[in-house]
Amino acid sequence: MNESRPYRRPQPGNWWAKPPYRAYTARELSGVAVAIYGGVLFAGLVSLARGPENWAGYVGFLKSPTSLALHVLLLAAVVYHVITWFQTLPKTMPKLIVNGEAVPAKKITGLATLLAGATSLALVLVVLGVTR
Amino acid sequence: MSGPARDNPRSISPIFWLLFGAGGMVSALFGPALILITGLLAPTGTGIPESFLSYDHALAFARNPIGKLVLLAVIALFFWHGAERLFLTLKDMKAGPSLVLKLGTYGVAAAVTLATIGLLLAIGF
Amino acid sequence: MPDPAKRELRILRYQPGVDAAPAFGTFWVENAENLSVLEALQSIKDTLDGSLAFRWSCRMAVCGSCGMMINGAPKLACSTLLRDLPPGPVTVEPLNNFPIERDLVISVGGFVKKIESIYPYIIPKEPRTIAQGPYLQTPAQLAAYESFSDCINCMLCYAACPQFGENPDFIGPGAMALLQRYNGDSRDAGRQKRLDAIHGEDGVWSCTAVGICSEVCPKSVDPANAVNQNKTNSAFDFFLRFLRKE
Ligand code: SF4
Ligand code: FES
Repeated sequence: MNESRPYRRPQPGNWWAKPPYRAYTARELSGVAVAIYGGVLFAGLVSLARGPENWAGYVGFLKSPTSLALHVLLLAAVVYHVITWFQTLPKTMPKLIVNGEAVPAKKITGLATLLAGATSLALVLVVLGVTR
Repeated sequence: MSGPARDNPRSISPIFWLLFGAGGMVSALFGPALILITGLLAPTGTGIPESFLSYDHALAFARNPIGKLVLLAVIALFFWHGAERLFLTLKDMKAGPSLVLKLGTYGVAAAVTLATIGLLLAIGF
Repeated sequence: MPDPAKRELRILRYQPGVDAAPAFGTFWVENAENLSVLEALQSIKDTLDGSLAFRWSCRMAVCGSCGMMINGAPKLACSTLLRDLPPGPVTVEPLNNFPIERDLVISVGGFVKKIESIYPYIIPKEPRTIAQGPYLQTPAQLAAYESFSDCINCMLCYAACPQFGENPDFIGPGAMALLQRYNGDSRDAGRQKRLDAIHGEDGVWSCTAVGICSEVCPKSVDPANAVNQNKTNSAFDFFLRFLRKE
């Protein structure tokens, strides 16, 4: 009489495509763009090891409209990755206590995103300066 | 109740998670700049001279020990980062058996890491 | 114009041993503008169907008993007012990801076991006698864990967690918030024991940092922070254990 007969409702298989989880899935896939760019660099390294002719082919690809379009897309995805990366950062840290109070997560995210903007900008400026 | 530490084998996820985290941090700090430089500014010659993409310049970079380290760190960590995220997302999507997904993600990252080391050595110093 | 004083509630019903599967039942409640969802359920139970089963106690968002899915989102029924919900029928279901015992009542046994497994009490650094007086703590030391002590065990975070939905053995956000409440306490020395309890696949490593648990938490506990900072701790523990002298 008293025995429990719980009913289990399975989670729908497409939960990852539905709000509020969709943004999480997009965030994860933006990280895949990082690896695709790694693949572009890896292809360059392979061409470099194969000699000047192969390298010329690789540079030809880099200059093609396909590659430029690909890099614009990669840039957009990686910027999204940067933003979401620092939104997640405060979750992975112990609470920062300053003057006896916890620093709000938004503040940590904001400062870290600014820092990332600065490091990327610095790298671009250094390369532009050095190669001038 | 049995002790919680018993029958509770340690996961090896920390290895992949730290590689993922390192790749995520490097790409967050420098990713946009790298894509901008090698994918857009240099190929279009915007602010960067033609010689930047010359064979000799690229070879000199890949032969420099620091250049080698940078290339290895960027290529390998970026792959490990993407591998972790793709693996977890495919797992969320139940896209296939775990072993297949692992080979297709972590396996690729491991192969690319080894190949990068091999190429950097073959290119010489 | 529909009468704003009347509101339609579509409630997922399940009677074990009678129903093969849960199904929605529809009820109309009167004077709806002034009712919380919990009060609407109570009025249904009092006047329309005495067999409707749901949990509640404090009616003031403190006891954590009345968690349920309201219009698809995990909420405390006592602090959700009908007038704040968009017009139209209101759906009320038991919390997602948990076995349904009856109607809106879910099984909590698994959650209680998880709480037991993380040593939910202070393991003192140095035992003190009463004569030695209380353990002292600065405001900064309190701030390091205080928000995690606000958890009311309502399990809304579990209903929002897809990884718990996939793996019922995952320790989950709420129990991790409690773990961090003790691990973050300056008087406690049980950190290593607790880290050992959560270093497996069903521990922190089932978490993929989805983060919705923190968004649905009615007490701003930020359980996602508790889980993910312990992923960091567990990862360091993975490598540093070789350097640790027991
Ligand atoms: S962490 Fe928040 S949502 Fe989770 S059980 Fe505690 S109070 Fe409820
Ligand atoms: S009845 Fe106690 S939290 Fe709602």
